[in-house]
Amino acid sequence: MAYQETAEGHHEHHHVNYWLIFIALCICTAISVVFDVVQLDRRLIAVLVLAVAVAKAQFVMRYFMHLKFEGAWKYVLLLPTAILACGLPLALAPDIGLHYYRTDVPQYRTAMREGIIPNEGGAPLEPEAGHADDHNHAGGDEGSHQE
Amino acid sequence: MGLPIPNSKLGMWLFLGTEIMFFTAFIGTYIVLYFGSPGWPTDTHVTHISIIAGGVNTFVLIFSSYMVVVAHEAMALRNFDKAYKALLVTFACAFVFLGIKSYEYYGKFSHNILPGQIAENDEQAIDKVVQESEAASDEWLNDLVPGDGSPERIHIKQLAARNVAGAESELTQVTQQLKDMDGASSERQAELQQREAMWQAIVDNKAQIENWVALDAAVTKLRDDVSANRLTMEQTDERLTTLQADERFASHMAAVHHPHPILYGNLFASMYFLMTGFHAVHVVVGMILFAIVLSKGARLSEEWTDWVENSGLYWHFVDLVWIFLFPLIYIIPGFDRGTPGH
Repeated sequence: MAYQETAEGHHEHHHVNYWLIFIALCICTAISVVFDVVQLDRRLIAVLVLAVAVAKAQFVMRYFMHLKFEGAWKYVLLLPTAILACGLPLALAPDIGLHYYRTDVPQYRTAMREGIIPNEGGAPLEPEAGHADDHNHAGGDEGSHQE
Repeated sequence: MGLPIPNSKLGMWLFLGTEIMFFTAFIGTYIVLYFGSPGWPTDTHVTHISIIAGGVNTFVLIFSSYMVVVAHEAMALRNFDKAYKALLVTFACAFVFLGIKSYEYYGKFSHNILPGQIAENDEQAIDKVVQESEAASDEWLNDLVPGDGSPERIHIKQLAARNVAGAESELTQVTQQLKDMDGASSERQAELQQREAMWQAIVDNKAQIENWVALDAAVTKLRDDVSANRLTMEQTDERLTTLQADERFASHMAAVHHPHPILYGNLFASMYFLMTGFHAVHVVVGMILFAIVLSKGARLSEEWTDWVENSGLYWHFVDLVWIFLFPLIYIIPGFDRGTPGH
């Protein structure tokens, strides 16, 4: 049973089988690990695993945290927080995750050199070309193996 | 007027609201960086991510969350003995969680998967081998010869150790110079005493110093060959393997890591430690909250019901964060494990 105490001191009783919720959470965790083993499309698995995580979060929030039995105040308090929480990722996404252009950083040159991403612009990728920058990035002693 | 919940509970929910924004900033940033960094490390053999450890920790946290609701329910039913036992199990689960997390962190530390410590391409990996070899050599010399480990002092020690054949003669000269000063106190005398101690140590540890000289020559040659771009990463790795197999200085070179470049490894390590580290801090705070209740022992009473409920809300939030960290850090990147390269 979930006991909700009101400001007036009244107890409201709600019947919840917490053991079943725990079992459901364990099954969800097992499903997540199984997704790690099976060979499916990478994006599909990412969606499935995150869907399982959302389902687990629902179980915890609705039953363990008793949000299912709370009044409308939960929306007033949690919705603005949830919306504001998206601010930083949304602000970063255009420049870091979604841009059409290619940033000129040592990691990109290495990725292009190793064929992880195509070198569409034909940028110079020889080790010597990126060497000094690589040193700068690592904070190493520039020129320690350039002679 | 007011919300139909106790003030303490409202306070906890407001706090959890800020916590949601706090962790969403980390998790959201991680997702954006993951998609914005082609070649992000995903091979669990490279990142030393243990899915089993993460899975067990998920189970431990879920079970602890279940025990918290059991404790809260028992408190409401005034079964304080049952509540105490359930809180004790929760506390133990938190310990287990941190133990497993420590084991995972140990794996990261031992493989030097730390922010700012990871080579991201072959050139950086080669440089890192040279730098770590030189550091290992310097550390050994510093152990053999007294005096501070400043770069200037290390340089003096290196020059002296390379002249190990003439050490006894140098020692005699310095000792004589000290005698000739008639014991007058001066900076010069302090300097001579330092030199005397240095030469004395070189004479006393002659066999060890000769081994160090051999290592110094090998490391110098390694540095010179790397500087002249004569070595590939594989050749550098072979050179390091040879040095680590030489029984004269194997134990001192054991700490040098073999070259394993990890593209975006530093960003990955930063995000990993940021997210899991702050989560672990929250686990510790939760343990403190539970420890305060547990310290009441048999005196646990109804007046602690709100405390247990609010601590429980906090603990469920800690569980909630891990529910998202587990797939994002452990499962989704792990799909690419076993792929060649990085």
